[in-house]
Amino acid sequence: MNEQATLKSKEDMTQDDIRNFEIRDYLRLDLFPHFMCPGCGHGIALRALLWAIHAQGIDKDKLAIVSGIGCSGRVGTYIDANTYHTTHGRPLAFATGLKMARPDLHVVVITGDGDCLAIGGNHLIHAARRNLDITCLMLNNEIYGMTGGQVSPTTPADRFTTTTPAGNMEPVFDACRLAEAAGAGYVGREVTIHLPRLRDIIAEGLAYKGFSFIEVMSDCTEVNGRKNDLGSSPEMVLGQTRAMRPSEYDNNVVDHPFRPNSMNTGVLVRSNRPEYGTSYRNMVDKVQALQQKGQK
Amino acid sequence: MTKINKVMKATTQPAVRTAVEKLNPDTAKEPINVLIVGVGGQGVIMVSKVLAQICQNLGYQVKQSEVHGMAKRGGVVFSHVRFGQNVWSPTIPMGKADVLIALEWAEGLRWMNYLRPDTGIFIADTKRIVPPFACRSRILGADIGYSKNTPSDVREKVAEAFAIDATEMATKAGNERAANTLLLGALSTTLSFPDDEWKNVIGKMVPPKTIEVNLAVFDKGQVWINRSRKGEPVEGGAFVPLVQPEINSVRTELSITPEWCKGCDICVKMCPERCLVLNKDQVAELAEPEKCTGCHICEWLCPDFAISLKPIHQEAVA
Amino acid sequence: MTVQQNVAQATPTINLPTINLQGNHACALGAVAAGCRFYAGYPITPSSEVAERLAKELPKVGGVFLQMEDEIASIAATLGASMGGVKAMTATSGPGFSLKQENLGYGMKAEIPCVVVNVMRGGPSTGMPTRPAQGDLMQARWGTHGDHPVVALTPGSVEEIYQQTARAFALSEKLRIPVIVLFDESLGHLEETITLPDVTEYENTIRKWATGKPEDYKPYKADADGVPPMARPGDGYRVHTTGLIVAEGGFPTQKADVVAPVMKRLLDKIEINNDLVESFEDIDCQDAEVVVVALGIVGRSAKKAVRELRQQGIKAGLFRPITLWPFPTKSFRALTKKAKYFVVAEMNAGQLILEIGAAKVDKQSVSGLNRYDGEPISPSLIKQAVKEVLGHE
Repeated sequence: MNEQATLKSKEDMTQDDIRNFEIRDYLRLDLFPHFMCPGCGHGIALRALLWAIHAQGIDKDKLAIVSGIGCSGRVGTYIDANTYHTTHGRPLAFATGLKMARPDLHVVVITGDGDCLAIGGNHLIHAARRNLDITCLMLNNEIYGMTGGQVSPTTPADRFTTTTPAGNMEPVFDACRLAEAAGAGYVGREVTIHLPRLRDIIAEGLAYKGFSFIEVMSDCTEVNGRKNDLGSSPEMVLGQTRAMRPSEYDNNVVDHPFRPNSMNTGVLVRSNRPEYGTSYRNMVDKVQALQQKGQK
Repeated sequence: MTKINKVMKATTQPAVRTAVEKLNPDTAKEPINVLIVGVGGQGVIMVSKVLAQICQNLGYQVKQSEVHGMAKRGGVVFSHVRFGQNVWSPTIPMGKADVLIALEWAEGLRWMNYLRPDTGIFIADTKRIVPPFACRSRILGADIGYSKNTPSDVREKVAEAFAIDATEMATKAGNERAANTLLLGALSTTLSFPDDEWKNVIGKMVPPKTIEVNLAVFDKGQVWINRSRKGEPVEGGAFVPLVQPEINSVRTELSITPEWCKGCDICVKMCPERCLVLNKDQVAELAEPEKCTGCHICEWLCPDFAISLKPIHQEAVA
Repeated sequence: MTVQQNVAQATPTINLPTINLQGNHACALGAVAAGCRFYAGYPITPSSEVAERLAKELPKVGGVFLQMEDEIASIAATLGASMGGVKAMTATSGPGFSLKQENLGYGMKAEIPCVVVNVMRGGPSTGMPTRPAQGDLMQARWGTHGDHPVVALTPGSVEEIYQQTARAFALSEKLRIPVIVLFDESLGHLEETITLPDVTEYENTIRKWATGKPEDYKPYKADADGVPPMARPGDGYRVHTTGLIVAEGGFPTQKADVVAPVMKRLLDKIEINNDLVESFEDIDCQDAEVVVVALGIVGRSAKKAVRELRQQGIKAGLFRPITLWPFPTKSFRALTKKAKYFVVAEMNAGQLILEIGAAKVDKQSVSGLNRYDGEPISPSLIKQAVKEVLGHE
């Protein structure tokens, strides 16, 4: 299997690539309306992903969407592509096998905060360490929505959830820093309200040769929002920018484990680490060359 | 605009002077006034500094005062340069500028009333930088509030006027940012200073890597003015009117798939024009289509993919 | 012999090399010979040699070897690779097998071919990592939650490990199911001189790929053999794969009238293909008064025991399932009509005996010979047990 074609860099993407986007070309229309709650940010995130895929001109047949369990896991179902809804926490491991076996596919993982950081945390750090060419989209709604609103590794301090009836006391993960520390070659974070920016960050991540991790700050309006009086859906969407500091990654920023919403957005890491699949295939070529020599 | 009209009426000079006398501070009774205007980032200050430096080198008194504080990139920048045997005041009174150098077209028009009505020389780049507040209407194809005056309009209002597409010429020569040096070349034709002095100062002022291209465009500027004064054909003087989309030539059509809408209210609250509402079934509806500007915000933020905006062409509507 | 698979009588083809080989290495080589081009695993005693050998062999044939971050990731990656269209395998041992159960169930539900090798060691928990046992027989059947189809093979020699691993690939491809290969530590670390059997037939067995128009294709609409053709990513079918119960179209459903036939087809697909799946070895079962039932390394002891008992005039027979799950019940019944006693020898506290108790037709006595101290069961112990049930001294 050949490796996938190189995608466009941010500069190469023309206005035509970005315009002429008809989202319904990328959806399984028979399944609509989708099952997500009114105002759920995952729908906006899905638009950003599909738009980025469109801007990059990726063939739907060559697109593999791997997702786990939870609200985020169901998002992939609606994409008209090769979609794999796998087990809880394991989409990155599935994707690793799929990408190694089929380097010609564009493998995109859609996962959630619980799926990716709690049950699947180990797979995240090791996928980042390997730096295999996978794009991982973590939809962070700061709660376990599908199971009725339990505390997650990204639930901010003092939030009420069904399992923290007196408010959350556990510190949270900064997923982007985690991915960066584990070695992810491309790391970005954006809120859903900045859709064009989110699209561009995802598009760059798709083109990045290596493990790209993108955290999408999404809203859980029905479960998280209601329980914590975060306002109506539009109010929550508008509140996203209030909580975020859009800036470049500043490593000198003091860590605020109990004020997790004051997080940076934008492209946080762009590095030049070797991509694992390419390294592996180079090794295979060497082994096979040596073997042929031996046979002669 | 009213002031400019007044100046125009006051002048009786022909549009193009045939015999040209260079401005010479040695013989002038009053200080020579050069006003340089443009927008932030174009190099207005650099032009005035070069001029001031030459005056200083040649032993004249020179005063330069500039305003660029509020400008940032893209805002208004102007610089007054006065030089001669004795200069007292740092700023040029209205109607007393001998030469007006404009690095941006509309800025040139705005400062025209500073020129001496009878002898003032107007040299402007036809480069147009449309400020954001000139296109405040969000309706597609809305009029842009930018000056529609052309060089021929200006010619009637000042003693001598040159409209050079300096940016385009500098770009062709290899560096877009050298447009201001090209205008220096143009300016040099109006003053009595020796060419060597100009080139000497420019060579010291510009970044070392760009000396060559700057000197080349300086010559181009000189040649351009000299040739056009003789009535010879010149390149780079073409003035193309601002291209504005024909009003309402392209519009967008907003459609809502009601079965997909879950009534989350995001589109209604986020629409800048407030043209969407939730109907009695809690489904989004376009209540005031004429207000819709096709900005896509509702489409982008709809989590249910229920809203879609498509461009439609006027013919298709008719 | 219609049902007995070509196991014991495998005729060595010319040019097939005779070599000294360890059981775990035989497993690795058998996999490569069957066309396995992907392995993901995690180090665990006593199966690590499978991974080590494949790390060496797979690059030579252009395959992928991955050492994953944990056991769960290993099977997940294996299933992922298989979904991409490659024959894939993972190997583990007891604790790792426990960890893999959820994803094993995913593979069974989503019908993803692959091979999972479990080199059994003493349990429970960490148990005795370097000692043999047969304690995972029931885990192989019922390890993952919910009703599910299972195919598990239990080879009894190094040569059989090679062959059955290869066959496991063929079965998994043919039936679209993860196939489990179970053998114990003593076989895994046993080194024997063997002639590598010809497994070209297994190598050539490849899953049914979807053909025809994508718009007509239904990912879970089965053919007559109960197995739906699979869609390969990149071929234009763009299907959905999920662990949820789905209708034929591939999308989740909870309607009882849709779920019932879907589940029935899934659970029955092995039964439909029983001729293909069933395999066992019988030695003198037809006229045996006592039938010893044993598998894996114990089967070898039992073979010797039965041979010696016959020499002593005792009508003993051996039934050794090679396909453990589904248990070859019909053939077992047919072959043991004359049996009065069953002796089930196994290196656990009694797992296979439950199946024999369910499989027998008459009121034969079933007694177990169990050992779970990390030592194999010797022929003399089996002989003794047989004599005991017969009332001999």
